[in-house]
Amino acid sequence: MANRTDPTAKNIRGTNPQNLVEKILRTKIYQHTYWKEQCFGLTAETLVDKAMELDYVGGTYGGNRKPTPFMCLVMKMLQIQPEKDIVVEFIKNEDYKYVRILGSFYLRLTGVDSDVYQYLEPLYNDYRKLRQKLGDGRFSLTHVDEVIDELLTKDYSCDIALPRIKKRWTLESIGTLEPRKSALEDDFEEEEDKEEDDQAMVEVGEKDHYRRRSPARERDHDRKHDSRRHRDRDNDRECGRGSERERSRDRDRDRDRLYLREDKDNGRERARDRDKGEDREWDRRDRDRGRRRNRSTSRSRSRSRDRRDGRDRRKRHGRGSASPPRRHDEDGNSRDESRKKKPKIEKKDDGTDHPDPEIAEANRLRASLGLKPLRP
Amino acid sequence: MIEVVLNDRLGKKVRVKCNEDDTIGDLKKLVAAQTGTRAEKIRIQKWYKVYADHITLSDYEIHDGMGLELYYN
Repeated sequence: MANRTDPTAKNIRGTNPQNLVEKILRTKIYQHTYWKEQCFGLTAETLVDKAMELDYVGGTYGGNRKPTPFMCLVMKMLQIQPEKDIVVEFIKNEDYKYVRILGSFYLRLTGVDSDVYQYLEPLYNDYRKLRQKLGDGRFSLTHVDEVIDELLTKDYSCDIALPRIKKRWTLESIGTLEPRKSALEDDFEEEEDKEEDDQAMVEVGEKDHYRRRSPARERDHDRKHDSRRHRDRDNDRECGRGSERERSRDRDRDRDRLYLREDKDNGRERARDRDKGEDREWDRRDRDRGRRRNRSTSRSRSRSRDRRDGRDRRKRHGRGSASPPRRHDEDGNSRDESRKKKPKIEKKDDGTDHPDPEIAEANRLRASLGLKPLRP
Repeated sequence: MIEVVLNDRLGKKVRVKCNEDDTIGDLKKLVAAQTGTRAEKIRIQKWYKVYADHITLSDYEIHDGMGLELYYN
């Protein structure tokens, strides 16, 4: 009874709003004393009072993962499902920062994508400090804008998996959102003007600079993305190519194409990268077809020359072993030995070139997690 | 290098290779990579002893081939 969602509450993302919190965490919250004592029979108004008493943000802590009062209040909000106006009030209020965080967390869980960005981005300008309880029970220092950034960019926060929202540039390309205006934009423009003046002195240097930048820029940015317009502006700002900004974008693109043609290697590389998958398929098929037509009766599609030769030789001459023929070097050493000499020169620190493939794989995983390699 | 077996008795049985001086937290990360759960959601126990994140396997006297219980938070 006490844990049932308000019967007038709407379904969020197709399910009971309380299901946004996972089963194990939900059960832990229901069994917690804070929930049972303080959160019983709370309404939207009384919830505000409880929220004002909040002292820290956090998920679960300790060996048996106790939920924090912050978590319990989030759960309570999901249960009673307050109106959107109330939630926006929570976010807009300036006095109580924990109430702000509570409101923004709830909005992130339940709100529509455009609402999330619209209401949470102004909070980027709030630099107040927050107390955060970590998983092992200690407190750490964080700030309001850091928490908001986590909510908007990561998909996991305070032991709750945040629902997926569309990326900002998707919403911009649809037109639901305006491109983001940073509070530091004025400062950027000032810096840019200064650099513009400096660079106006050194004209030749700027041309080289532009040429050097252009192929990299082309390579990195996918032309099809509308966000390219956006990203270019950021890059321009950073390298201080403000004077180019005034010229039209088409001229920029034409110039890039010109430079690309000059810089042939880069172009080839790009084309190669793009068509790598397709080309390889075709090459393989053509090669196999050619081979089959001319000589071999073997159906294997493997490109290993050894295998093909072995089978054919056996079929034709009826001699030889089933294993691939060992090729010998001039010294009379078998190929494997001479191959073994090479890896020793290129030995890596994190053991990812271990001869045993299982251990090499494990070491690769450990390196990606930031752990030292396995020690036999 | 030792190999530890973690079993959650509901179908997930994982064998993880690790060093003796790895901490339980590192072991949880390796298990998370293999099973797909998040590392924070994993709890490693032996009967009622819940193993703490900051202690190494050698301090807990976990040897090669030992079986641990896998629970979730």
